[in-house]
Amino acid sequence: MLLELNDAVLNYGKIQALHGISVEVAEGEVVSLIGANGAGKTSTMRALSGVRGLAAGSVVFDGEDVTKLRADQRLRKGLVLCPEGRGIFPGMTVTENLNMGAYTRKDKAAIEEDYDRVFGLFPRLLERKKQVAGTMSGGEQQMLAIGRALMSRPKLLMLDEPSMGLAPMLIQQIFDIITEISQQGTTILVVEQNAKQALSRSDRAYVLETGRIVKTGTGSELLDDPSVREAYLGVA
Amino acid sequence: MDFDALINGLDRHTLDGITRGSIYALVALGYTMVYGVMKLINFAHSEVFMVGTWATLGTYTLIGASSGMGVGMIIGATVLALLAAMLASAGTALAVERIAYRPLRKKGAPPLIFLITGIGCSMVLVETFGQVLKVFFGPPFGRVLVNVPAVLPTKVVFTIPGIDLAITNTRIIIIFGAIAMMVALDFFVNKSRLGRGVRAVAQDPDTASLMGVNQDRVIMLVFVLGGAMAGVAALLFTIQYDSTKFDIGFIIGVKAFTAAVLGGIGNLRGALIGGLVLGVVEVYASTVWDSSWADVTAFVVLVLVLMFRPTGLLGESLGKARA
Repeated sequence: MLLELNDAVLNYGKIQALHGISVEVAEGEVVSLIGANGAGKTSTMRALSGVRGLAAGSVVFDGEDVTKLRADQRLRKGLVLCPEGRGIFPGMTVTENLNMGAYTRKDKAAIEEDYDRVFGLFPRLLERKKQVAGTMSGGEQQMLAIGRALMSRPKLLMLDEPSMGLAPMLIQQIFDIITEISQQGTTILVVEQNAKQALSRSDRAYVLETGRIVKTGTGSELLDDPSVREAYLGVA
Repeated sequence: MDFDALINGLDRHTLDGITRGSIYALVALGYTMVYGVMKLINFAHSEVFMVGTWATLGTYTLIGASSGMGVGMIIGATVLALLAAMLASAGTALAVERIAYRPLRKKGAPPLIFLITGIGCSMVLVETFGQVLKVFFGPPFGRVLVNVPAVLPTKVVFTIPGIDLAITNTRIIIIFGAIAMMVALDFFVNKSRLGRGVRAVAQDPDTASLMGVNQDRVIMLVFVLGGAMAGVAALLFTIQYDSTKFDIGFIIGVKAFTAAVLGGIGNLRGALIGGLVLGVVEVYASTVWDSSWADVTAFVVLVLVLMFRPTGLLGESLGKARA
């Protein structure tokens, strides 16, 4: 397994957000984590990326226990989170934001290649290179956030709600690009409220409810599961 | 009130104000950078400056520098004193961060605890020079004003014709020294990779760490840079006033903090503008009334500016405005 989250418990003060959940991602997979607001999706991402420490449990990445490592140390190992709410640096230009993605890298030539790759995936960003990121539209900011995450050459790219606040057509486009990134060889773990998109694009998925994993299966299995259909797809 | 005195000597008073303001501005950078990345007013920063003035005095004493040396000796002694002051101030700032603030950060202490800790550090440093070192080494340590040798004799370099304004070498060094340091710092923060890391932490600490920025390193860097700037200010201060004292940091610190707020705290260029405006206002006020009015007027200006522009003249944020 490329990534294993084992029996993770995460607290905010006295409130327990994750009650011992386990998630696995194998190399080359697209795995999604679906659930309603407050189910613990973002908490899981925070725990995996190292922004928030675990009260119990462990994170194993690429065969190495990274539970005690900070977020910046995990990034260096290739475990990269593209945060919720886009999380771009609003006062920096598009180019500066992308540079931030390559902050830890020194391989100039390869960085240039990755610029081309990102601009290839998101031609829109090339047009807006010099624009201050905070003045861009929601969709463009999301593209920038994903592009920036790719600039750190992730082994595993984690995306927290990439479709949040976007129009349906844009959501489609973002997921097309996620599929393309996966086909280019990056393993992906995506957290989504838009269960239909997420499940139809994923090899496997987990359903999260109030800090616990309640169901797991392949994307198509869950798409056909009556209780999932009722709870997350709005069909009886 | 003596407006004639102000009008007649406007050029000279403005020059005085800019000189004073340059020193405020350099010290203000330390407040503004630390605030930018940590949202913390580092009340120990005034003493970071004070330590720098003592390092200058110490260097002169150790190498036996005095007034009336040859040109080569003057340059050598001044450069040595500059390096010593920068090193001492940066070291003090770093020590405060490592010993006092970092443990609090690791425990997630509330902001008030940081403020009190800063004030505590400031007192410890003041009393170290006012009392502790005096017990061990005697004078010049203690609670009295100490002379710093005027290694660099004040000379008129040229006179601006027409208005008959004499420009001295010390003025040139203070004003251009301060501005050069600020331009260099601004360039570093806006153009270098580490500077980008500083701005990233200032804008969004969590996301910055997700990009691989080590927050502790950035915070240390900011304390060291702010400290080094205060060290430069300390040397320039001794060039201008030829003295120091154990509690010299307090008044300069208050003024520099005011300058930072006036310009927009968290904003590097704001520190420059705020410092210069404050310096000029003070000198004008002490000319029109007398020097006891300088502080009152400075703070009235601060209140007025904040009434109309609550985020200061240039607004908050390190490096670039938030969109």
